[in-house]
Amino acid sequence: MQSVRSLAVVGTMALAFGIASLDAHAAGALAGTDIESTAEVTYTVGAVNASATSNTVTVRVAEILNVVVTVQTPTVAVSPGDTAREIVCLITNTGNGPETFRLVTDNAVGGDEFDPAIASPSIYFDTDASGDLSAADTPYVAGGNDPVLPPDGSVTVLVVNDIPGTVVDGNRGFARLTADARTGSGAPGTAFVNAGVGGTEAVVGLTGAAASGQAQYLVTSLTVNAVKSQVIVDQFGGSRPLPGARINYTIVVSATGAGGTASTVLTDRIPANTSFVPGSLRLNTSALSDSADADAGEFTTTPDARVRVTLGALTQASGNQTIEFAVLIN
Amino acid sequence: MSQGKLKFIAAAALLAFAVDSQVLAADARCISLKSMAEVEREIVDDKGGKSVKRVAASKVVPGTEVIWTITAENTCKQASENVTINNPVPAHMQLVANSVTGAGSDVTYSLDGKAFAKPDQLTVKENGADRKARTNEYKHIRWEFKNPLPAGATATASFRAVLE
Repeated sequence: MQSVRSLAVVGTMALAFGIASLDAHAAGALAGTDIESTAEVTYTVGAVNASATSNTVTVRVAEILNVVVTVQTPTVAVSPGDTAREIVCLITNTGNGPETFRLVTDNAVGGDEFDPAIASPSIYFDTDASGDLSAADTPYVAGGNDPVLPPDGSVTVLVVNDIPGTVVDGNRGFARLTADARTGSGAPGTAFVNAGVGGTEAVVGLTGAAASGQAQYLVTSLTVNAVKSQVIVDQFGGSRPLPGARINYTIVVSATGAGGTASTVLTDRIPANTSFVPGSLRLNTSALSDSADADAGEFTTTPDARVRVTLGALTQASGNQTIEFAVLIN
Repeated sequence: MSQGKLKFIAAAALLAFAVDSQVLAADARCISLKSMAEVEREIVDDKGGKSVKRVAASKVVPGTEVIWTITAENTCKQASENVTINNPVPAHMQLVANSVTGAGSDVTYSLDGKAFAKPDQLTVKENGADRKARTNEYKHIRWEFKNPLPAGATATASFRAVLE
């Protein structure tokens, strides 16, 4: 009877998994995880079936130190004398254990025309996740609130610099943010004994456990020009400015220089002693309605009679924006 | 049978059933099974010569290839037959293609630990169609040794797997 029970045990595969769950993880198996393996053998001696299991071998996952810095604003258009202009960077822990990172800015980067002046504080956490510097954002203090990131975890930071007043159009100023693992960084393969999670080694990964992101501030003094011209058509087939004559205005707006505007709005008053001709407003030959609605233009009487056309972001590549409208001489 | 052994059996009978059964099954306990995990390290000697040495793998980082070796030694005076070694691919590890060895054995694999087959017969359902399973999807390895393992002899099985 007892030997029959033994046979029943033999018939069962002895699977020995130390870890039941298989966490799919971009950073790899989590540091400190114990991986166990046990082999099993079945055999027969004469007519007797038997089995045995091996010792259980345990391999502990050591910590690998890796970090990536991704610049989300590679080029920031600035003007001379600007203050507190931010670069947005994403710092991601691509190692397999929780890690604390130290952040350092460096603007003495070669190959540019000026060095942005490091603001104080120079790095902020994007606490309110707005993507830009705002009152709610917490300043970073080296050694005080170094970001602690779980494996695959990331944090957005804003690197803040001032632009010298002496720079000129087209100048570039490079700014760099470096994040390095507090446990240690250096050549890939460098090991820090007992420094990893669960008393394991911490080993520097292929990123060197330090990463930099570089962005450029580009000085752009963009000029927006508007050139207005008129054609008078009188009711007698001539071009005299008689009461009742129609004046057709054309305004050509163009941007020249590097960079672009965030938004351009053209407003032009209707001259005294004239009346706007309803339905005459056009942008690049397309008719615009007089009311304030989905299209770019409107005619309004508050605070006084004027036309208003929203041109949006303009760059030199946008080319000429031609606005036309007409008035009648009272 | 000596008096000492009789006393031993009497004492064993008082123990819990599981222990008791193992004692009686000891008649057939011929194979001692050992499992081992190693990694390869490149060693550079004083003359700059390089060689690869295997060292015990106790702590490894993701991406490391670990060599798992299982040895079965027949400690009895008679041969063991139908020797079959089973080893799951350890958790968080991916079997390396063409890394499984086991002289004198037929090797089969399983995706679920139940059905074992040769690689070309292992399929995975993907988007409603069957495709051949990839090596890193094998979860279990089985070595079936074709010949009896003689008294005192050792059979070896090994595989390599990379830590995710």
